[in-house]
Amino acid sequence: MTDNTTNPPRPDRVTLFASCMVDQIAPHIGERTVDVLEYLGIAVDFLDGQTCCGQPAFNSGFRSEAYPVAARFIELFEQVEGPIVVPSGSCAGMVRNHYAELFREDPTMVERASIVGERLFELTEFISRFFGNAAITGRLESSATYHKCCHLLREIGVNEAPVEMLSNIDGLNMTPLERADVCCGFGGAFSVKMPDISSAVLDEKLDNIEATGSSTVIAADTGCIFQMQGGLRRRGSAVQVVHIAEILAESLINTSETSSLN
Amino acid sequence: MTDRAKFIANVTNSLGRIDVLVPTAPDASTGTAGFDNPDAIKANADRALADAEKRASELTGLMAYSAASAGWNVHRAANPEDAAGLIANICERKNAQSVLRSTHDVLSQIGVDVAVTSTGATIGITEHSGENSSAKVDQSKATAFSADIGITGVDYAIAETGTVVLHPRSGLSRLVSLAPATHIAVLKPGDVLDSLDELFALERNDFLNGELAGSLNLISGPSKTADIEGTTVTGIHGPLEVHLIILE
Amino acid sequence: MKPLTVNFRDKAASTLKDKQIQQSLEHVYTGFFQGRLAAAGDTPDWNELRTKGKAIKDHTIAHLDYYLEQLTDNVEKNGGSVFFAEDAAEARKHIIDLAHKRNIKTVIKSKSMVSEEMGLAEAMNDEGFETIETDLGEYIIQLADETPYHLIAPAVHKSRKDVAKLLDDDFKEGDPVPDATELTMMARKKLRSVFERADMSVTGVNFAVAESGSIALVTNEGNGRMTTTVPRVHVAVMGMEKIVPSIQDLSTMLRILIRSATGQRISTYVTMINEARKSDEEEGPEEFHLVIMNNGRQKLLANPQMRESLNCLRCGACLNACPVYRKIGGHAYGWVYPGPIGSIISPVLTGLKDASNLPNASSLCGACHDACPVKINIPRMLLELRWRTAEGSTGKNERTSSYNERRIWGLWRLGMMGRRRFDFGARIASIVLRPLAKNGWLKKAPPPVSGWTSTRDFPLVASRSLKSRLHKRDRKAKP
Repeated sequence: MTDNTTNPPRPDRVTLFASCMVDQIAPHIGERTVDVLEYLGIAVDFLDGQTCCGQPAFNSGFRSEAYPVAARFIELFEQVEGPIVVPSGSCAGMVRNHYAELFREDPTMVERASIVGERLFELTEFISRFFGNAAITGRLESSATYHKCCHLLREIGVNEAPVEMLSNIDGLNMTPLERADVCCGFGGAFSVKMPDISSAVLDEKLDNIEATGSSTVIAADTGCIFQMQGGLRRRGSAVQVVHIAEILAESLINTSETSSLN
Repeated sequence: MTDRAKFIANVTNSLGRIDVLVPTAPDASTGTAGFDNPDAIKANADRALADAEKRASELTGLMAYSAASAGWNVHRAANPEDAAGLIANICERKNAQSVLRSTHDVLSQIGVDVAVTSTGATIGITEHSGENSSAKVDQSKATAFSADIGITGVDYAIAETGTVVLHPRSGLSRLVSLAPATHIAVLKPGDVLDSLDELFALERNDFLNGELAGSLNLISGPSKTADIEGTTVTGIHGPLEVHLIILE
Repeated sequence: MKPLTVNFRDKAASTLKDKQIQQSLEHVYTGFFQGRLAAAGDTPDWNELRTKGKAIKDHTIAHLDYYLEQLTDNVEKNGGSVFFAEDAAEARKHIIDLAHKRNIKTVIKSKSMVSEEMGLAEAMNDEGFETIETDLGEYIIQLADETPYHLIAPAVHKSRKDVAKLLDDDFKEGDPVPDATELTMMARKKLRSVFERADMSVTGVNFAVAESGSIALVTNEGNGRMTTTVPRVHVAVMGMEKIVPSIQDLSTMLRILIRSATGQRISTYVTMINEARKSDEEEGPEEFHLVIMNNGRQKLLANPQMRESLNCLRCGACLNACPVYRKIGGHAYGWVYPGPIGSIISPVLTGLKDASNLPNASSLCGACHDACPVKINIPRMLLELRWRTAEGSTGKNERTSSYNERRIWGLWRLGMMGRRRFDFGARIASIVLRPLAKNGWLKKAPPPVSGWTSTRDFPLVASRSLKSRLHKRDRKAKP
């Protein structure tokens, strides 16, 4: 691990916001997120009442439906103190950037949203900020490439940190992805409402992925993971798309196995 | 209400106001230079010119580099004779029959007329004859369109962008640097400004002094297009070939 | 130009299937997009320049009435005339009337998106004036009888062969296709003779300077200079937002505009026109006319949520950055302005109801916002317009969402407002869908996600939620 002097004081307790999709469709990503945080010495709380931040409806233009769901999110997470970690740049961006829009007629709500937003971190952002990009140095034999999810990159501003983190994993052979910062075409309801356009954007991404020859694509947002994996499966490709939490956690299992063997 | 009044009133209403609000000098973050005071503008202009003199050799070097990147064929001439020789060479190589030039002093200094006529080409000068008829204008245009080479000095050059700046006027037609297939510009040390900021500081100062030219041309390389399959091709409407001669 | 925004889906679908256009659109990324990135990387204070450019435009638009007055006074002081056109029809009529009065035969145009709004070239040709586009891309498009595909590269979708068919009178199917240089020289020759005989020009305006009554034109080809030099009448047309207060603002604006458009430090030509031919000049137009058009822009101005869109410099950087534009091309957007900027301004200028697909045709990836030289937050405005189409937030007549769609989102809200409902809904979905799934993925899903599975597998809802899994984990952890 990096020494303390380079990073702000490390939290020892956080609250996990899973995001609706991780919670109900990809709970293993949530579990691996907990694994990674616990490895870093952090106690992870989970608020049982959590559901969704409201982004799907907000992005589809149904703000009156998104409003109460977002308000509920604020009320719930106001009940606890300390950092909130979410394994999704998109949900983090919703709370930190778009709540101000959603609540703009109500300054009190904007203020409350901003206070919660300041406590909310995307997973890799959190690790990078408080523990550094070299905090996790596990081992995993694999060949992989990294896709830069749009909202994590452009709304949260996390660009190279995950790439650096992955470079610290022994045995993980990373190949840079051509046009890594170009969208995969997911875009929430867009992917369902305009599937032909969404898929045309996806196809370019998948061609670039296949060109790397990697067996694994690493990303940090569930929607993008589903989009890319769903497309690869339809192509008959064996390439696996995984969340960065899965890679980090798996690399740690291997480290502990190795050490127990020694 | 006139069309103008109605139009502006509409804009005012759309801005949520009843009357036109005169903007007051905004804070620095507002960006526009529109509120700078005249003394500061004059100081900016003076500094731009002083800088061009003081840093002449450095700025000329930068100009040579950025002009080449912009697509100028850059030639260094150690003295006026060399410059004349370079011009004669270009005329010969292009097999020029008719050459047109501006009245920039530097061109007489290097004896451009002799250099051009020695190659067998004719030379014309773009100086206003005092006759203001449309027939005269048509004739000037026809002359420019039939010329093979246009030769000018520069009013300024810009090191940042490799740009030659020309203010059309009597003695410098608009077309001399545009219509002929080849344009040669002759630059001397002290002509080169650091950047676009200095140029527009000078233009602004001229404007406040009531001395703004009718138009201003910034020329940075040959005419070009990439409208067919993204392939850059030089010489669509203006010169196909441009030469910058730097007189040391 | 008549809006065809309503045809968005059909036009997008046909472009997606067009292999040649798909290939042509690659240049938008490899040429323009990467060119801008390189130019920005070479400019140390790039971000500050963009911030300054935004500040200049914010200020100008906030005082647009004042600067319009100032600009008009100064153009008139310089001997020019200013005409205010509330809409495209007024602008067209004014310019055509002027051409009649001046006994014009040949009109040359340089590129102007505002003139596309007016459908000016077509109208003037119909009126009997030989009206010819001089920007090579526009010329090709005019010959093909199409509309521009891109803000700065109108013919980006055309192959060399397409161009050869239009430009080369001798070209026959099966002939070797001339290269870009040969084709360009053919165009040079044809357009040269037009320049020499033209007696009126119509140009656009990249920037109008309020304090001096000047206009600035940015071109690489030199047609901006030809059109403002040769004909005896020069008409410049501009949207009412294209103003900067001071001559000195041009250095900032030119830097960000040109780098963002083509990746160049500067275009070959920047021409600033302060007045018609001075009496001691050999050539130049006898008259300068400026036409300032509103054409619905007041709706953008009056709406604080949309006003920022008037900062646009028409550089095309958002198109080049947009993964959707790069697949569906320019014509799908159905009006003058394609791509992300078109998706926010076309609906307001031409009617949101017909254009409701435009704000929805985005993955909200944010690349346009990143690319914009004046930092226009396009995704924010796309979301604003989606709100209007989904819920009719500014008028029920704009609502285009279906009853089913509204019902689904209503149900979604119900499900998200309580954890038990959230879990219940997910478990039902999991149980219902499980028989249809293989290895946790569905090949075919029922509505509302059936669209997804037309091209991709869809993940099955998990049998147990994260909450439930973490509770089990806690129990295990305890001795």
